[in-house]
Amino acid sequence: MRSADYVIKRVLFAVVTVFVAVTLNFVLFRAVPGDAVSALRCRACTQQFKEAERRELGLDKPLVAQYWLYVEGLLHGNMGSSLRTEQPVLGELWVPIANTMPMVILGTLFSIVIGILVGVTSAWRRDTLLDKTGLYTALGFYSMPTQWLGLLMVFFVAGAIHLPTSGIRDPTLGLLTHASTWAVIVDRLRHMALPSITLGLSLYGEYALITRSAMLETLGEDYVLTARAKGLRNLPIVWAHGFRNALLPIITLVALSLGTIIAGAITVEYVFSYPGIGLATVEAIDQRDWPVLQAIFLLLTLSVIVFNLVADLLYVKLDPRVVDQ
Amino acid sequence: MIRPMRMATMVVALAVLAAGCSGKKAVTTPSSSGSAAVKKGGILRIGTTSAIDSLNPYNYIETQATNAMIMIYPQLVQYAHGPDGFTIVGDFADSWSTSTDGKDLTFKLKPNAKWSDGQALTADDAAWTINTTVKYQNGPTAEMASALTHVKSADASDASTLVIHYDAPVGNALAQLEQLWILPRHVWEPLIGTNGHDLKTFHPEQHLPMVVGGAYSVKQYEKKGTTEFIPNPNFYGPKSYAEAVTLTYYTNSDSMIADLEHGQLDWVDQVPFNAVNPLTKDTSIVIDKVPGSETTNITWNSNPRKLKNRELLDPQVKKALSMCVDRDQIISVVFSGYASKVESLVGDISPLENPNLGPLQHDCAGGNATLDQLGYTKGSDGIRVVPATTGQYAQPAHPMSYEIVTPTTTDFNVDREFDIVKQGFAAAGVKVTQKVGGDSTASYALETDDNCDASTSTGYAHFDIAMWDWAGYIDPDFMLSVVTKGQWCSWSDTGWDNPAYDKLYDQQGATVDPEARKQIVYQMQQMIYDNWLYTQLINEQYIDAHSKTWIGIDADLNAYAKTYYTAVHQTG
Repeated sequence: MRSADYVIKRVLFAVVTVFVAVTLNFVLFRAVPGDAVSALRCRACTQQFKEAERRELGLDKPLVAQYWLYVEGLLHGNMGSSLRTEQPVLGELWVPIANTMPMVILGTLFSIVIGILVGVTSAWRRDTLLDKTGLYTALGFYSMPTQWLGLLMVFFVAGAIHLPTSGIRDPTLGLLTHASTWAVIVDRLRHMALPSITLGLSLYGEYALITRSAMLETLGEDYVLTARAKGLRNLPIVWAHGFRNALLPIITLVALSLGTIIAGAITVEYVFSYPGIGLATVEAIDQRDWPVLQAIFLLLTLSVIVFNLVADLLYVKLDPRVVDQ
Repeated sequence: MIRPMRMATMVVALAVLAAGCSGKKAVTTPSSSGSAAVKKGGILRIGTTSAIDSLNPYNYIETQATNAMIMIYPQLVQYAHGPDGFTIVGDFADSWSTSTDGKDLTFKLKPNAKWSDGQALTADDAAWTINTTVKYQNGPTAEMASALTHVKSADASDASTLVIHYDAPVGNALAQLEQLWILPRHVWEPLIGTNGHDLKTFHPEQHLPMVVGGAYSVKQYEKKGTTEFIPNPNFYGPKSYAEAVTLTYYTNSDSMIADLEHGQLDWVDQVPFNAVNPLTKDTSIVIDKVPGSETTNITWNSNPRKLKNRELLDPQVKKALSMCVDRDQIISVVFSGYASKVESLVGDISPLENPNLGPLQHDCAGGNATLDQLGYTKGSDGIRVVPATTGQYAQPAHPMSYEIVTPTTTDFNVDREFDIVKQGFAAAGVKVTQKVGGDSTASYALETDDNCDASTSTGYAHFDIAMWDWAGYIDPDFMLSVVTKGQWCSWSDTGWDNPAYDKLYDQQGATVDPEARKQIVYQMQQMIYDNWLYTQLINEQYIDAHSKTWIGIDADLNAYAKTYYTAVHQTG
């Protein structure tokens, strides 16, 4: 198979996946009992009022008609309006996304750097105390539920190092006196610290284990033995011959992690009351705000598919043999 | 969670910053009571697990929004709390009188009041708010229209005189009006358009600074973050001691408690029950415990047209099963002792709670005897069997085995409460399994069915039992309404349909004489009790915790009065 055929095949597969995700997006949320109008409960809401609300929101139309309206809107770049606020969905989601991305990027970078360092070191020093320490620590963090890890941070770390446990800014900052830009930046970073570290710790174990496993495989190859026989020092052997050839599974994992950046980390945001896309998702579910939910899940799906596609394309560059497999 | 918009157990956590943290010098003055010096200034930081979802009185869901609107909008009247309990007092109204036929209420309002933008705040604003709400009550303004039941119109005879005209005398008119927020006409009138639609979709919190007439204006609003309140210099009433109040939303009550302990919050209300005892060891924190408004219950589907397991319509069966439930164990295990038994749907918060109900005794032997007498004999597996029936709702013989719907959104451990109820029912030879219903909307949809329609008596056909909670209110009107046919598919969670009860509900609303109304209200509670629409389990305590550096907090006034914020001050 030529490389171009491989790329076209991957892109077509991604497009089909998006279409399937769009359809599932529509069907799944409507399978849950209740709708936006039944979520809106008030003492004076008569049956007539509720029916009028359903008409206004288009919920009285047959599901097929609602589906086509949804797809038609998407093709025009219109994700609809929030059933709760009646504001355009993308405008509603912009702030949560902007809040989430730096926190998740910071946590993911933290996990990639630490995870790869621990994985490489463990493989390099296999069966030593260093290896066992790295291995069991990684296994420990990998197996911890993220929300539990977050609570440990709240109870035992936050107070000790004076870091905030909730929100995205100090409620008193700039309230009565002007706050400098620098103070605002520092405040944001302080609020981002614990969620990012929690996310990073929960992800790093996976990176460390995958890297260690891939490195052990490559370090056992004949070409590594040859390199040693040639008298090369450890560092060039590990990085040039070991790590570069172990990159394929690591790239996959990085792509998957980056794909979830848009989605954020619902459990982390929930524990730290971090007003990002995760909390917006929980709120939209509570209020049966289908357009918002559909938009969030579509963005999540798109980001996962795009980053997987990028990983597939990178494979061709890193290992041209995948085209023929 | 099933609860009225306005609830006394609203989760509000106040946290206070020391005066030095605000960067302003504190000022010491005599307190309003004259008993102690108070220190003005400082930032009062509040934490909450209930978000302010909107500051539009025509379109909000979350309970914290109610508290915020009390602080920023003028009300005609509000509640005060003293040794004799709750009383209605004036807010924007100085005094009021009722016409001899009981159909007109005349309010004398505070003169020379102003909105925060300097425009005059007069009776015209109040009359416009009332007339507009009544005009669109079946549409955009339905949310606030419940405060104006039986209101025909309102007039402003002069700048400080408001007359409200009713089509019938209303016994609880003042209690209803306490939930009316007066809006600035010059801001809201342009929104009416042709059908009033924009009254509901307007988001005043997105147009800062908001025009307000209450004790505070909103400097910054964040739905899932921190909302900042600063005192309104034009407020007609007692000014806030604090220089600012911040309300921070927490999704996680553990983080909120940790922030309180770390000094980043100074006041947390509705402390989780399992956190109360550890907090008592912190000498820098004061814990307030007052009777709460929230009750938990076993909800029985009482729709006379329900399709299956119709033996559960029999009050004797429901009572017999209830006698096997150990409420003391629930209080001890689920609520760490911070609750008490309750018998009435209206709960201990209401001064009109009927004291003559029950009490339900924990007597499982008696319950079993009743079930034996009714002919529900135990099978070989120990589960009782209901004999086959004939007629319109014929059902075959079947074991007494049921599902209990539980929502995931309760503020107590409903799973543990279910376990205790399950043990009790098992002792009576009845098997129950938990059906986790999801959030409030999903669970309520399981109760009502998706095709619920009161006009055709459709709905409430399938579920048998649920376990949930209610948050009562001082005036019992709302709680009494939730079992009327009028609340089918809206707030009714029992599907009960009893015209005699509905008639009494209308009567109590139109009975002006307090004693006569009390008797009707007592009778209605007795009907609810005798029909076992609910098995009332416990009445929660309302527990808040705050830093010792702030005083003047009256936990009873949570969501009832502006003084809940304005009277709080730092220790001198």
